[in-house]
Amino acid sequence: MSTSLNAESLVQVHQSSDRSFMPPCQVACPLHMEIREYVDLVAQGRIMEALKVIRNGNPFPAICANVCTHPCEEACRRGQVDSPIAIRALKKFAVEYGGDRMIQTETCTKYSEKVAIVGSGPAGLACAYYLRKTGYPVTVFELHTEIGGMLRVGIPRYRLPQYVLDIEGERLTRMGVEIRTNVRVVSLDLLFELGYKAIFVTVGAHQSLKMEIEGEESPGVIDGATFLREVNLGFRPYLGKKVGVVGGGNVAVDAARTAVRLGSEKVNILYRRSRNEMPADSVEIDMALEEGININFLVQPVKITRQNGKLIVTCIKMELGEADSSGRRQASPIKGSEFDEEYDSLITAIGQIPSLPSDFKIGTGRGSTIQVDPVTLTTNRPGVFAGGDAVTGPATVTEALSAGRLAAKRIVDFLQHKYPEREKDKEAITTPLLEETIVNIKKLARIDPPVLPAKDRMDFIQEELVYDWKSAINEARRCLRCGMGAEITSQDECASCLTCLRTCPYKIPQVNPEGIVEIPVDQCLACGLCVTECPARIISLRKPADYLDNVEEVLKNTRVINNNPLVIGFGCQYGIYGTGTLEKLWESKGRIQIIPVLCVAKIETEDILRSFIAGVAGVFIAGCGEYCAREKTAAIILKRTERVKNILKQSGINPVRLRTIFAGKDVDPAKELDKFIDDISRLLLTQAISREVKT
Amino acid sequence: MIVAQQKPLEEINRMIDPYEKILIVGCGTCMTVCDIGGEREVALLSQALTLLQTTKGTKKHSFYISTVKRQCDPEFVELLKEKLSNTDAVLSLGCGIGVQAIAEKFSDLPVLPGVNTLFIGMTKEQGVWDERCAACGECHLENTGGICPITRCTKGILNGPCAGTKNGKCEANPNMDCAWIQIYNRLERLQQLDKIRQYYEPRNYLPLQRPKRFINNALYSAGETHG
Repeated sequence: MSTSLNAESLVQVHQSSDRSFMPPCQVACPLHMEIREYVDLVAQGRIMEALKVIRNGNPFPAICANVCTHPCEEACRRGQVDSPIAIRALKKFAVEYGGDRMIQTETCTKYSEKVAIVGSGPAGLACAYYLRKTGYPVTVFELHTEIGGMLRVGIPRYRLPQYVLDIEGERLTRMGVEIRTNVRVVSLDLLFELGYKAIFVTVGAHQSLKMEIEGEESPGVIDGATFLREVNLGFRPYLGKKVGVVGGGNVAVDAARTAVRLGSEKVNILYRRSRNEMPADSVEIDMALEEGININFLVQPVKITRQNGKLIVTCIKMELGEADSSGRRQASPIKGSEFDEEYDSLITAIGQIPSLPSDFKIGTGRGSTIQVDPVTLTTNRPGVFAGGDAVTGPATVTEALSAGRLAAKRIVDFLQHKYPEREKDKEAITTPLLEETIVNIKKLARIDPPVLPAKDRMDFIQEELVYDWKSAINEARRCLRCGMGAEITSQDECASCLTCLRTCPYKIPQVNPEGIVEIPVDQCLACGLCVTECPARIISLRKPADYLDNVEEVLKNTRVINNNPLVIGFGCQYGIYGTGTLEKLWESKGRIQIIPVLCVAKIETEDILRSFIAGVAGVFIAGCGEYCAREKTAAIILKRTERVKNILKQSGINPVRLRTIFAGKDVDPAKELDKFIDDISRLLLTQAISREVKT
Repeated sequence: MIVAQQKPLEEINRMIDPYEKILIVGCGTCMTVCDIGGEREVALLSQALTLLQTTKGTKKHSFYISTVKRQCDPEFVELLKEKLSNTDAVLSLGCGIGVQAIAEKFSDLPVLPGVNTLFIGMTKEQGVWDERCAACGECHLENTGGICPITRCTKGILNGPCAGTKNGKCEANPNMDCAWIQIYNRLERLQQLDKIRQYYEPRNYLPLQRPKRFINNALYSAGETHG
């Protein structure tokens, strides 16, 4: 296959002609990752390139692949049609199959100013990564024995295997980042004295909030953050048979599921509101329920007493009132509804705040969080920057990574005496899909990666498995490619023929009140049918597919070797090759040259003709047929091939030499292809014989 | 809009046979709308002709392509001048007017028609056009409910229907609606049935001299000479 394109040149092509809008998933991602782009590459089976795009926007994709809370999926407009794309799981697939652990980032020291990073959580590590990439000497100070911050001590191992963090640590070390674990930084002055020119404080929010009730200090009561930290650092605390967990966030659910894995038989979560208000990830809640964890809603402990080695937890029932300004319904106790429950241990997980050594001398605000300038990220001390949970309060990994990346930029600005630049973002798609658009979109069920059954989860091994190749590609093909759709590039040359409007399977193009044809960018789903139908050829995709420009190049090379009958195949990169439907192709009898296309509907009639002009023995077009994620594609390409067959006939070429193959339940494309090659061989033989006879 | 149909490849091939360098010229107006001679079709035709001459072994032509905004205006045609300096013949994918406009502008060059111009029509659906106007120069649509009997009646009669109407269809083609029955129904809906009583005298074709010329005095600058 001579179609492997130089990835660098591809990127250039993309950048120069990219007029696309930012899709909703990218808008929602705190790191603004190019989700649409890497999902599309996964859909084509170009996993290494997908990983490259992922790594461009995320320093630690392996971490996010496991624990990202994926706000992108909430924003995904496929959710309006059926269910959102499984973006996080696709990223995990790309990370695993693309070989992320093998990638090493090259660095060299270009500057002499040393930067200290206090805390090795996601924000600290991201900042270290980008500063080191820019060429600064960086030292990371970590209190615990292992790096990772909350990732290491807060997230249970069954969600994030420790080796993922170890790999990132190793990678940073090889990049030249100095990592000093087991070091408690007590004073920033000391760091400045040691010669550091800038300090990034990212100590996280590890201090659990108190419930402020009687008996909270009793033995057997432990806070969630401490509990998870102990377990993650290798301890196996004995909790007893019956465990209560107070709270409704991710920490509470993690603590409950960890307790189950430590052997507790009965685990109750006590939450003062109802499931609707529970801030924990709903998938995690479902998994907890599957593991036999019980959630008592509308309950709040008011007193703890210790009797005969047991905890008597007095709870009160709650009721929900009106929604407050944050939209969450407030819970208030029902008078006289107190009741007692007996537990062996109680874990409290009602929130966490940062805890800063007072000698840091930096200003804090609400909830003990560090106060920073929102643009420069500086604290009240010059040269001291802060970010992550220590600034925002408990937040997500992606938000921390984003803060770390921004901090790295601002620290560079500070060290190089530059004014902080505001990056120009692309225009964004912010509107939902219209009902009229949705009805025309083919419904495709979401494919989730396999998960270990609840009975096999009872250790700290990771429960979520990775997609197989075919499932990942089929899931990625569901993407609607928001914001990269068709655009009329020259209204002046537009004949207003309305072919686009009449061709579009989603009925997107419209005549505006001024009588001008428009293709609304927020609705177009980039199928490309109008691009290849427009009689004036003035429609193009805002982010064109990279392969199609390549047809001429391939044909040029073809001509050189055409003394040996050659067959050209235009094959859909999304389905027919991506999913391996035509994997037997390489065993085929004929000499075949493949031109991958992103959906056969994008093949121009002209390109088919061009192949015959180049002197090929035959041309076949292999499409996904009934497995195609889009609409009308087979019909439109059939129409075009009919036209070409007609021209072939008039030119004295047997139209048998052009074939369309559409995959389906009863159609094996590999067999069809063999048949086609046979037909062509027979034809060429007959022609040769008749020539022989004539002479 | 003017509707046309591309000529068969063999016919075009025969026409261009004596010439070597051929400029295929598309038209960005009607011919683009009916997808017969726009940018896309011009490119496609050049490929089809290349293929034809490759297989027939008559490889002697070179094709160049260009599309002008509107072939029926000399100012747009003028823009071809540079390209034509090195051309043996023009193959126009414009309507018959386009072909003549180019021929008039470049009197030394052979200009060949790539399409057969069919009629003035409207879009029925994608890829289907219907004739709707014969450019007769005497519009009676006011009295016929907006339905033209000249184009839509097989006989083109002005005092219809004839005796060949049957169950609302035409005797010449049972799938075709009788224009005059449609006119009747429409006038009835408009409560203007009295208009069907209008009698038209046989038309006097004497003053209809060809070629027709229309002068719009609002635009016409008197004193300038018009050949």
